[in-house]
Amino acid sequence: MKALRIQHTFVGALGTLAMLAWQPAIAAGLDRVQVFDGFKELGGYVGSPFLLGGAWIAVKITLIAMSIGLVLGLGLALMRLSRFKALNSAAWGYIWFVRGTPQLLQLVFIFDALPLIGLRFDEFTTAVIGFALNEAAFSAELFRAGILSVNRSQSTAAAALGMGPLLTLRRIILPQSMRAVIPGLANDTIGMLKLTSIASVIFVNELTFRSQQVVGQNFKFFTVFGAAAVIYLFLTSAISLLQVWLEGIFDHERDRKLAFTWFGLRASTRDVKTADAPVGLPDAAKAETASDHAWISTLLPVDGRTPRHPDEPFVACKNVWKSYGKREILRGVDLSIAHGEVVVILGPSGSGKSTLLKLINHLEPLDWGTIKVDSQYVGYREVAGGGGTVRPVHNLARARAEARVGMVFQHFNLFSHLSALENIVEAQRQVYDVPCAEAQALGRDLLKSVGLARHADFLPHRLSGGQQQRVAIARALAIKPKLMLFDEPTSALDPELVGEVLGVMRGLADAGMTMVVVTHEIRFARDVADRVVFMDGGEVIEQGTPMQVIDNPTHERTRKFLNVVAT
Amino acid sequence: MFMPKIFKLLLCAVTGLILAQSAFAQSCEPSKVAQKYPSLAGKTIKIGVDPESPPYAFRDSKDFNRIIGADADMARAVFECAGVKTEFFTAGWPGLLPALRAGQIDVMWDLLYYTPERAKETSFVTYMQAGTGGLVAAGNPKKIDDISKLCGLTVTAGIGTVELTMAQAQAAKCKAENKPDVTIMTSADIASGARLVASHRADVMMYDLALVDGLAKQNPQLYMRGFMVTSGMKIGVGVKKGNADMIAAVSDGLKIMQANQTQKKTFEKYGVDPSLEMPTTLLTQ
Repeated sequence: MKALRIQHTFVGALGTLAMLAWQPAIAAGLDRVQVFDGFKELGGYVGSPFLLGGAWIAVKITLIAMSIGLVLGLGLALMRLSRFKALNSAAWGYIWFVRGTPQLLQLVFIFDALPLIGLRFDEFTTAVIGFALNEAAFSAELFRAGILSVNRSQSTAAAALGMGPLLTLRRIILPQSMRAVIPGLANDTIGMLKLTSIASVIFVNELTFRSQQVVGQNFKFFTVFGAAAVIYLFLTSAISLLQVWLEGIFDHERDRKLAFTWFGLRASTRDVKTADAPVGLPDAAKAETASDHAWISTLLPVDGRTPRHPDEPFVACKNVWKSYGKREILRGVDLSIAHGEVVVILGPSGSGKSTLLKLINHLEPLDWGTIKVDSQYVGYREVAGGGGTVRPVHNLARARAEARVGMVFQHFNLFSHLSALENIVEAQRQVYDVPCAEAQALGRDLLKSVGLARHADFLPHRLSGGQQQRVAIARALAIKPKLMLFDEPTSALDPELVGEVLGVMRGLADAGMTMVVVTHEIRFARDVADRVVFMDGGEVIEQGTPMQVIDNPTHERTRKFLNVVAT
Repeated sequence: MFMPKIFKLLLCAVTGLILAQSAFAQSCEPSKVAQKYPSLAGKTIKIGVDPESPPYAFRDSKDFNRIIGADADMARAVFECAGVKTEFFTAGWPGLLPALRAGQIDVMWDLLYYTPERAKETSFVTYMQAGTGGLVAAGNPKKIDDISKLCGLTVTAGIGTVELTMAQAQAAKCKAENKPDVTIMTSADIASGARLVASHRADVMMYDLALVDGLAKQNPQLYMRGFMVTSGMKIGVGVKKGNADMIAAVSDGLKIMQANQTQKKTFEKYGVDPSLEMPTTLLTQ
């Protein structure tokens, strides 16, 4: 049906073109037979091997130059986004120069000036080089725009799962940015195909130049150029169709739309699934009950990679300092967490709670002090003879992956182009090399445990906030974490959805997971926490059992905060 | 005074030998390419042309893959005579000279006018003189019968051509005489220049005489020749400076083609006035 529609559009466009050509021809005093013969002749030139040969040259140059240009362009875009100034300015300089100088001159330079220094390329190679170098400059900016259009939270989530920068780029950022990049790339491709004609000055005998030569010989410019236009239209239509197809692939809302327009039946069954009504599905309803969390203990590592030191705390923060610019966020925080302990951190906004979590799994670098998880630094090594000073290791992603610290974010940060199940499977497959079947099985188990067994194939934007957060917890659990960090996991949720997330977290705590939870949920803190830590102004003000801190705060600032939160 | 008979006979013999030898040199010896032009032996000569310039170099309407024309046919004949293979390399006219200098082509053989400026970087083997024609719309509505009538009109000429320089010189003249300005439009190729005249966007296209005559003959309902100028400009084959074997091969070949009437016949075949032929001369500056 779609193909038919495209055909109709195509025939319609051709008809319009014919009408447009017919009118002036009649007006010019040509009779019908002459006009008809003209079109017949035009058709003959469309099939002329001479012109088609020229078109093939244009297509070859475009295909090769585009492929090379895209690879170079992506590299340039990454250089532009690099924090190393030298790389950034080198890429900027290249783009500035290539975009800013006429392409004709670049081609003539490569063809006629480089031989003087012994670099002699034939005309085809010259055209490919010239167009590829140009496309690199233009596509670099397209790629950069696409990468910047992807929310930063996506790479933060990937980093928390132990994914390295290149892996994150390939699996998370690029697939999401393609939607923004593809229309621009299609423009570039069409532009290049037509612009190959400027290479006639360096002996490339492509379509436009060939049609000019035929016109130079017989002066029938309407028919010959008309034929060239038809060939170009045909080729650019192919590029446009390719664009439609690629946009479809990278449109991450597509499956839903397609299900609606194409397979009515499938769409309706899926629709029932989206509604969160457990119609005749008792096992799912059972999975929802908060009491049934025995499964979680199966996730916990049987024994840690490192031998347990009972005398040493599981998480040890010593004299941790951190500032953003001139603003001091953490001012010498000391905090120890025992194995299996659930610690809730309370405190007003800007007290440094979230920052502390990000330092524990090294999403942010420390300014001063040390943090050890399970007796190991996360992404630091001690400087030999440095008296305990530490330095970041080279492969930070590897270190994060080895530390196995799971993190849950306020805004869920699910990978928006991947389904719920794929979100959970991603890090297992890509970071920990778990076999596909095993990773999928664990993913489905986890989804079942958080009550979302039937939502495995749903994209995040089809899920409610509570459901998304439960998927996010499942995703964090899939890497078999030794420690779970929760950064205000319920703050972005509607009140009626908070319960389902807290239920899952309660289950985790019951199963013995070591957890650090930043939250404003006082009730959760009172019921679940082993210890409550109150922070303000980048310092730990007081800590103790929930009863001590929440019910009998000793510090004035704690009392003030609890008053505000309680009302 | 009393030269012995034997001496006279000897003198005759020697003179005859010399004459015979020079006649010998004036014939094609494709098999001797290795002795005569050692650096060309076994090479395929890249001939640069813009195949949009009838009647000198253009696509054969029966087979678009073949390039014919007065220059193209002559080039083929000359190199056949020298005993080397040829291949035509086609590009827009403005790209030809730079490519010759860069060594991307071996000769440029396409209505190339000799100028001292061009001869600084390229050697010329000239074989004809130029005539410039002014192509006007059929019936010559503006009565342009001399180059001096261009004041106040619009003229088109090819980028980088001698005709463009002529048009600019005429424009300066009009200005000096306080007459209306000449508007000059440069065109990328001949066909587009001719279209400017057909669509009355330009009043005159100045180009090579034979080309202008050819256009007028083929399209009498559109064009005619308004005026002609014999500038005394020479037309030659461009060869990269210092390429002695190539210069010799082109020069020898052209001399032979002129002696055996091939050039004349070729010119006649493509409607180029044979009287424009000039003895082959090497110009290096």
